[in-house]
Amino acid sequence: MGAVGEAIRRRRSDLRSGLTGRALDVGLYVLILAFLFLLGTRVIEHGPDYLLQIFFFALANGAIYALIALGYTMVYGIIELINFAHGDVFAFGAFASASLIPLFGLSEGQVWGPFTILQLLAVFVVTMLLCAVLNVSIERIAYRPLRHAPRLAPLITAIGMSFFLEGAMFLWKGPSSVHYPDVLPDLSFTILGARVGVKEITVWITTIVLVVGLALFIDRSRLGKAMRATAQDRDAAQLMGIDIDRTIAATFFIGAVLAGAGGIMYGLSYNTAVFDLGFSAGLVAFTAAVFGGIGNIYGAAIGGLVLGLIRTFWDGYFDSAWSDVVIFAILIMVLVFRPTGILGMRVPEK
Amino acid sequence: MIGWFRRVWENDPRKDPNAVVYFLLAIFAVLFPLFASVVTGGSPNFLLSVAGDAGVYVLLTLGLNVVVGMAGLLDLGYAAFFAIGAYTYAFIASDHLAVTPLQTTLHVPFWIVLLIALFVAASFGVILGAPTLRLRGDYLAIVTLGFGEIVPRVFKNTSTWTSGVNGISALDTPELPIWFKGPWSGDPLAVVQNFKIFDPLGYYVIMVVLLVICVVLVRNLQNSRMGRAWAAIREDEVAAAAMGVNTVQAKLLAFAIGAAFSGFAGTFYGAKLSLVSPENFGFSVSITVLVMVVLGGMGNIPGVMLGSLLIYLVIFMVLPSLPDTVTSIANAIGLTGLTQASGDFPGIGEFAARLKFLIFGLILVLVMLLRPQGLLPSREREQELTKGTHDDTIIEDVQAETG
Amino acid sequence: MTLGGPLLTLGTHAGARSYGGQDPQKTPKLGGRTPLSKRFIRGLGLLLAGTFLAAACAQGGGAGGDKGEIIIATNFPTSGADRASGRGPEAGANYAVQTAATVKGFKLSVKNYDDAVNGVHDPQKGAQNFTDMVNNSKILGVVGPFNSNVARATIPVANKANLVMISPSNTNECLTQDFPYCDPKPAALRDASQPNNYFRIAAPDTVQGPAMADFAIDTLKITKIAVWSDNETFGKGVADNFAKRFTSKGGTVVVRQDFDTKTTSDFKPFLQRAKDAGAAGIYAGATSATKGCIPRAQSKGILDVPYLGPDGIGDSQCVKDAGDQATDKMYFTNAAADASQDASNKDLIDAFKKAFPQKDDSGAYTFPGYDCAKILIDAIGRAIDAAGGNMPTRKQVLQAVQDTKNLKLSTGTYSFDKNGDPTSATMAFYQYKPSKSDWDFVKQFGVGQ
Repeated sequence: MGAVGEAIRRRRSDLRSGLTGRALDVGLYVLILAFLFLLGTRVIEHGPDYLLQIFFFALANGAIYALIALGYTMVYGIIELINFAHGDVFAFGAFASASLIPLFGLSEGQVWGPFTILQLLAVFVVTMLLCAVLNVSIERIAYRPLRHAPRLAPLITAIGMSFFLEGAMFLWKGPSSVHYPDVLPDLSFTILGARVGVKEITVWITTIVLVVGLALFIDRSRLGKAMRATAQDRDAAQLMGIDIDRTIAATFFIGAVLAGAGGIMYGLSYNTAVFDLGFSAGLVAFTAAVFGGIGNIYGAAIGGLVLGLIRTFWDGYFDSAWSDVVIFAILIMVLVFRPTGILGMRVPEK
Repeated sequence: MIGWFRRVWENDPRKDPNAVVYFLLAIFAVLFPLFASVVTGGSPNFLLSVAGDAGVYVLLTLGLNVVVGMAGLLDLGYAAFFAIGAYTYAFIASDHLAVTPLQTTLHVPFWIVLLIALFVAASFGVILGAPTLRLRGDYLAIVTLGFGEIVPRVFKNTSTWTSGVNGISALDTPELPIWFKGPWSGDPLAVVQNFKIFDPLGYYVIMVVLLVICVVLVRNLQNSRMGRAWAAIREDEVAAAAMGVNTVQAKLLAFAIGAAFSGFAGTFYGAKLSLVSPENFGFSVSITVLVMVVLGGMGNIPGVMLGSLLIYLVIFMVLPSLPDTVTSIANAIGLTGLTQASGDFPGIGEFAARLKFLIFGLILVLVMLLRPQGLLPSREREQELTKGTHDDTIIEDVQAETG
Repeated sequence: MTLGGPLLTLGTHAGARSYGGQDPQKTPKLGGRTPLSKRFIRGLGLLLAGTFLAAACAQGGGAGGDKGEIIIATNFPTSGADRASGRGPEAGANYAVQTAATVKGFKLSVKNYDDAVNGVHDPQKGAQNFTDMVNNSKILGVVGPFNSNVARATIPVANKANLVMISPSNTNECLTQDFPYCDPKPAALRDASQPNNYFRIAAPDTVQGPAMADFAIDTLKITKIAVWSDNETFGKGVADNFAKRFTSKGGTVVVRQDFDTKTTSDFKPFLQRAKDAGAAGIYAGATSATKGCIPRAQSKGILDVPYLGPDGIGDSQCVKDAGDQATDKMYFTNAAADASQDASNKDLIDAFKKAFPQKDDSGAYTFPGYDCAKILIDAIGRAIDAAGGNMPTRKQVLQAVQDTKNLKLSTGTYSFDKNGDPTSATMAFYQYKPSKSDWDFVKQFGVGQ
């Protein structure tokens, strides 16, 4: 009875979910259209210059979310853990670089030359390495011993680690927000009536370089291949001679490198950082990762970008008190209508 | 001797610690008022009041345990249902509706609101649960997380109805239609009508009664057909469905029952504090309750109760009193220099005040590393986790454990 | 002792459970990672137990003063993010008590309560704190709380016990005065048979917001303004009151937004919108703990117009946050005269900074907190006289606070009306002066209630 019965049941439920799935998809499109219409009326009211300006802000905002989301998605893809501490690694990136900038001889409102670019690059590299070391140690201390423990145990240690990091940053810089030195030159260009500052350009270029680099790495390198194999089937990968521990550590390392870069760019763009910054930023970035289909690298990048667009457009055209509600409502709808995210692969549930 | 006791306790299947823990918890609940009044020299109000507040968390933990521990559905937005319960009480048991567009007031008695809030919260549980049943595992967790983030913000932003950030206060006090006064309250014996409960002891008693009802309920559920269905879904949903378990019904029911408990908790919270405000139902509440469940031992009722009491003690009592405590220790052992501020060092008390977050994080990490199965896991699950499920390593492991 | 006793018992109980009651001498029998963990748990357990033991001992001993001890309690959020707001007034009140040390032969000491849970002020924790204070007969008055919703939860608790409380920072008008839109009515928080026990020294939102609106229109000649708030009780209240007065005086509020400052740091869309709508000024209903001056820093290159705000942004934190955009276009109102404005306060401020050198000790509400404690100490002194030199009752202290007449302190001269509001508040205006790298006094005037 068992096998045949199950096969029939499967078939039925496939049919059902196929049908309801299509109906739900239509629902999603209707909602998107309604939102776009509402947005459209506001856009016309405010004019094209404003639209372009908001779009530029949104791209920069989304790029930062994307960088954080990548770390979430990689870690989830490989060990199926919602790494709550990841947002705090990002915040640590902002904090560490705020202290490193004066150490490397940069200061607010200085004259720029080729050497200053090198200095800033050095800040980037050191911060990213610091974040990476931090994240890898977190994995070593709090997650690796629990790899075979009940599923929720590492989730709780992740939360604990998040509190711990926030506590440490609290101790370091106190409860108030810290001013992040505004070192980028105060230059801007006007494109079709909208202003693009050096800040925005820096964020875009850095993000593009990092994301392309990551994609190449995952696709081409040996370690990247090992990561993909481990994500697909850890046991089989191990049998094929892949060093699982090393691969997972590398994932945490790369995730933190991106988060560290995100932290610096957050600081450079908004000129502020606070000890519990990672919590809220992490929540949004995590949403972005899910939005794009968790475990999917391109999905996370696109998810981050889309969430940045949604948030900034909402702030720019509607009431910002509701922007978090909108973001999370979209998250729920995406999951209800397209449970595997915008680009999510149809992964079998383990 | 102690080693032997521990060995038997942990490995002998005939010795179920749960019975002992239930017994101890019951004794503790009954004796606590007496104990509180003895240690404080006759003014137990503070301790009773704290115990009442802690009870709210125990209730929440019991409810979340149904969802997470029994049915295995990870819920990261549980505080939303708590908020819904509390706001239900605030709406229908205060003068608040007078300042909303309704321009009228409702004063439904506490006891009835308990039931109403139960149904309201359970309905929201179903509303959230129904569309998300297609989702499994962590996706479900994320939907609940989103829901948990949305609900308090909606309460905060719809200020015409909810007074926004100001919250709603001056809620009704629970009333007993008839009560006896007598020598125990320092009055001559008499029957009073509409007796208002102000006394922390009154709230404590209500809470204990609520808890007893809920524990009995959950225990029966766990041992019922539905409880077995939940266990089956938790272990393997596909297999459960194949064996004829109606997974849709079982999951919805888990959501509804979990939410219902927080409806209870919310009503009690609103009545006792006489205030609800949107800031106090955030993600940190959901996380705290989840931590209580996991730390106590998922799925095991006395375990999660113990877990919630311990965590409550840490968050609300130990951490807040930390600065005073370390200062007194430093003074007591003669390190008075440490208590003074010098240069960048703010004095050990101040230092400890800043450490609270960090210490809480450390406690979570350490407890989980040392006891990933929780403090008091259910017997079956502990066997599965530590002894393996289907191979013959059991004997080896027992030997390693007892060494 | 009330706190120490039960915790002692529970603490050792917890410790005993977690290491399974093993004999500490017998550890080195196992290899691998178990012993390490066991040792750790044992250490933790012992530490906890010891902690409580020490606390109990320390609290039991030493009563110092001749006639006995009087305790002033403080209740502020002092952990996590809220520490930025709560530590200042706590430090101020502690300093006042430390410098007074005794009052009429009684030893004076302070007990600090924290009402934050996981870094957010929590009314339930506040109510617990007040229940504990009510039980402690040595506590004759409370300085605090900081947040209005905590005040709402704690006024009823303290009111039943006639415990007087003075808040340095609550500005929500509905806590003391009855307006048609108030929910709840102030009376609903208080027992009709008991005297009012709640006092505050900050002017309510109905004063501060409108004062800045007048200043913006009359002095700065702004007619179009963009208003944002942090969506908290204080920030939103003051922003709403500002907008109301600004509109009624003929100005236009061109953009009005509320932000969840815990999750947002990006104010550029708002600033861009303000610019496009032709705003000639920005009003921030926020405090520097809720990113009050971050928009000022981000306005660089977008919109350089006067930046106005309430007393919450009037501190060095705001200046730091504004970065190189901290210019003379920043203004704030102060509901009390600023302590540093009064030259006679210089010694006090210097002495305070020496005693409390940490950066979170000094904030916008440090000296209001100091003054609240001073009012309380002064009142306790008079209450002792009224009790014939003996320990006064709480009702006597409460009456003495109510009777406070023209007490000159660092931030103003205080008397209270029957609602517990200060009878006259000083409204001062400040402007940032880059040349002095500090806020500079513009003008101040008294406002009647």
